[in-house]
Amino acid sequence: MKRTVAQSLVLYAGLLVLVLIIGLPFWWVVTGSVKLPQEIIQRMPTMVPHSFTLKHFEKLLQSSDFPVYLVNSIVVALFSMVVTILLALPAAYAFFRMAFPGRDLFYRLILVAYAFPGIVILIPLYGLFARIGLVDSRASLVIVNVALALPFSIWMMRSFLGSVPREIEEAAVIDGAPAPTILLRILMPLIAPGIASVAIFAFISSWTEYLFASVLIVSDARRTIPVGFAGMIGQYQIDWGLLLAGATAATLPVVILFALIGRWFVSGLTEGAVK
Amino acid sequence: MKNTALALVFVAPALLFLLAVLGWPLVQALVFSFQDIGIIGSKGHFVGFANYAEVLGGKHFWFAFGRSVVWVVGNAVVQTVLALGTALILNQKFPGLRVARVWVILTWIVPTVVVVIIWRWLLSTSGGMINPLLMESGIIDRPVGFFATRRSAMVTLILINSWRWFPFTALMMLAGLTRIPGDLYEAARIDGAGARRRFTRITWPLLQPTLIVLGIIGTLLSFNVFDVIWLMTAGGPSEATETLPVLIYETAFKGYRLSEAATISVLTSIILMGFAVFATRAMTASEANR
Amino acid sequence: MTAFRFAAAAGLALTLLAGSAYAEPVTLTWWQMEQPPQRVKRIQELLDQFNKEHPDIQVKQEPQSWGDVYAKAPAAFAAGNGPDLLNSIPDFTTVIKKIGAVVPVDDLVKDLDAKHHFIKATLAPYQYDGHTWAVPAYNMALSMWYRKSMLKEAGLAVPKTWSEWKTAAQKLSGNGKYGIGLPANKQLYTDQTVYSFMVNDGAADIYNDDGSFRFDNPKTVAAYQTYADLQKLSPPDSPSWTWGEAEACFNSKGCGMVLQFTVISSYNAQAEGDAADLGVAAVPHADDEPQSATISYSNGIMITTKDKAKEKAAKVFLSWLLEPEHYGRFLNMEPGLFLPVTEDGAKADSFWNDPVTTKYKTQVETMIENSKAGKLFGFTTGKVFPSIGAISAQNVIAETLQHIVVDGQSAADAVKAGQARMTGIAGK
Repeated sequence: MKRTVAQSLVLYAGLLVLVLIIGLPFWWVVTGSVKLPQEIIQRMPTMVPHSFTLKHFEKLLQSSDFPVYLVNSIVVALFSMVVTILLALPAAYAFFRMAFPGRDLFYRLILVAYAFPGIVILIPLYGLFARIGLVDSRASLVIVNVALALPFSIWMMRSFLGSVPREIEEAAVIDGAPAPTILLRILMPLIAPGIASVAIFAFISSWTEYLFASVLIVSDARRTIPVGFAGMIGQYQIDWGLLLAGATAATLPVVILFALIGRWFVSGLTEGAVK
Repeated sequence: MKNTALALVFVAPALLFLLAVLGWPLVQALVFSFQDIGIIGSKGHFVGFANYAEVLGGKHFWFAFGRSVVWVVGNAVVQTVLALGTALILNQKFPGLRVARVWVILTWIVPTVVVVIIWRWLLSTSGGMINPLLMESGIIDRPVGFFATRRSAMVTLILINSWRWFPFTALMMLAGLTRIPGDLYEAARIDGAGARRRFTRITWPLLQPTLIVLGIIGTLLSFNVFDVIWLMTAGGPSEATETLPVLIYETAFKGYRLSEAATISVLTSIILMGFAVFATRAMTASEANR
Repeated sequence: MTAFRFAAAAGLALTLLAGSAYAEPVTLTWWQMEQPPQRVKRIQELLDQFNKEHPDIQVKQEPQSWGDVYAKAPAAFAAGNGPDLLNSIPDFTTVIKKIGAVVPVDDLVKDLDAKHHFIKATLAPYQYDGHTWAVPAYNMALSMWYRKSMLKEAGLAVPKTWSEWKTAAQKLSGNGKYGIGLPANKQLYTDQTVYSFMVNDGAADIYNDDGSFRFDNPKTVAAYQTYADLQKLSPPDSPSWTWGEAEACFNSKGCGMVLQFTVISSYNAQAEGDAADLGVAAVPHADDEPQSATISYSNGIMITTKDKAKEKAAKVFLSWLLEPEHYGRFLNMEPGLFLPVTEDGAKADSFWNDPVTTKYKTQVETMIENSKAGKLFGFTTGKVFPSIGAISAQNVIAETLQHIVVDGQSAADAVKAGQARMTGIAGK
């Protein structure tokens, strides 16, 4: 594949714009978090910090339960991820590889789940959870997060399944393998990268969820990062340094996570396809 | 026949789960909408369709609906353009491609609350970078207030929300792009088709199914975006960014009229469901054509 | 023999029972809305001390945010898992009262008043319908903040009237700086700043005694007009400001004057921190008014349990908290922001020995003085109407300002529409 000069120019200009749009705000936040307060609110802001301090991070760690929020977020996100996969995988398989009455109807029903504003279900759900004693529990967040991630996960999974040639499966069927075996032994390995993508999607959806976590969780010991972070904003006063440190600290864990497994997300999306 | 039973066993857990978590509360909301509950937790009486008459007869619902349409269309346009561009770039070969494909997602993995605080700071005139940047590049000659006028508030919010979502959409599109068989392009090249022609004849049509599904789900998801708007403008200035979810929240939790909020919710759900049913029909059709 | 044994056994059982009753302390859950970490930490220190001194009572705090407590608290009470103690501001109390979750604290407040003498303005917004609904805990009042050096340089005296204020704001503007920073967001902060103009024009009451509205009157219109005129001299992003942005504008010297509850702790940490240069004064008043008034928020603590033992324990705790030796430390969870609600609290060593409070002693004294002339919309006449909850929560006062500043309506039209909006809310 040879590009003309003009094409290359367009490509690299596009890349530059992309880097600036995505990277610049993060650069400002991360460098802002180590600036002295005076420099943070300066009317002529600085691109490169002129001062350096770690006191915002010290304050963050000393006086807030950030590590607790972090653990909660990770626990909730991991469980949401596992449950989502366990529910989405068989459903997607049935939707795409099995014939049964009402298949299209059910499939549509699942996508239509996104037609309801989350706010609608917030209050009734609170009542429901209160009745079964789940308010202020991490389990309640897992349940909500799975419900929010599940429909899209099924759709994602379905398109991965679609990329596996039917012949492979048909051969197994002729050999007399039952459906669960086909799913577990033959398809799973083939769509493993796809499953990884769905897992990461479910993880991140849960990681970023704010509305339900803010109402369903009452005690500080069970707060997740978004809610804990929102708490630091505070009425009447804003400590920008603390917030920028908090923003950095709230981003860092997922950045590390993505450094380790990020390529799975992308390769799962892009290479799951059999060319 | 055995296959059918097994399929149902596979589908049932997911379906029942969604029914319990989403379905039951919806029935509850429907019940609320026929009562006159004020503050959450107080008792209400059956009032028939009175709430519906009031909501549909008033202007608030319709204005909010109009803003929601602007919001959805704005997000769809901005995100599609940015995401498609990004996907096309990431579908090329260049040094650093692997890194780019991973880290493009950065904005999506940050919690919304953090996104809001980042932009509140960046757009402010004390310490914010955006105003000085625009002034230095000569686009504006004095600091502007991004949330000071109705129009600019809406545009700014759409851009912030798109900033968070477009990389995700881009990767979904990239997934669609990589599923287009490479030999099609080869064949076209041999036939002497230029870059533009290859795009309009191969890329665009074959990307359709992905675009349609992303369009449907994206529409539903962005319609229901609440936290970014609420935390940033609370629907202001002068209700300019009060979309339906914001109106629902405000009616329930600020106006203390739960039943009215439930009514707006039900109406919103009906509109969205209508859209979803109509659109998924188009989608299944296009997927069948694949 | 058997009788003796029986008696002995019974006696033993009784002691065990009594013993276990003692061993089982009353546990109180306290939702408080001071969520920034340093405030949570200070409250925890106080709770640890209280719990140690009172083995039969255990108070635990659950910090919440003002942002979602309006949704969360009613839902929690409805589901039967609400807190036993709940922080409040006057409009929030009307909401919780409406769902029947508040217990009156008439006797407790009477006792505490006899002991510590509440500042009247802090108690008034919680006394209506024949009862007292919360124990005032701390007060906040809006003041005008400036830099003495900056006024001096411009040859200005501290403005006392609106016309002096306009002149000052104009003179301080220019060179990329803004004479004054006034918000125009649809947010509580703007409600507060606008209302501080209204009280300074004799337009403090928004209700008539019969529950109809008197918001739409020439004095309110004049207050809005003056506000809108001054707001033109504010930074362009002020229509999206909350407290934090105004503070940052002042601290970065971008704004000459701001209206704030306090800027002390951020001025101390983020700006020059020169106590001698930081000026604070009452919000200026209309030219034909004799003196300044302001808006004040008396934060209270409500008892929200129906359990008698818990109610009793809650009273023990609240009395303990208002003891001068503890009370000052409670207020200084955010030094220079929270003001005392009692006379002896205002003199307490525990309040004045905080290093920041000491450093800015004259400023804090002025703030306390200003707070005595504090009023709050909807709570000015001794009669409280339920619609004030929704009017406050929906920021109708701020919304009315936006119609002038953002939409360019005339002050008279906007105020008229504002009154129509209030009437509409009250009619629902």
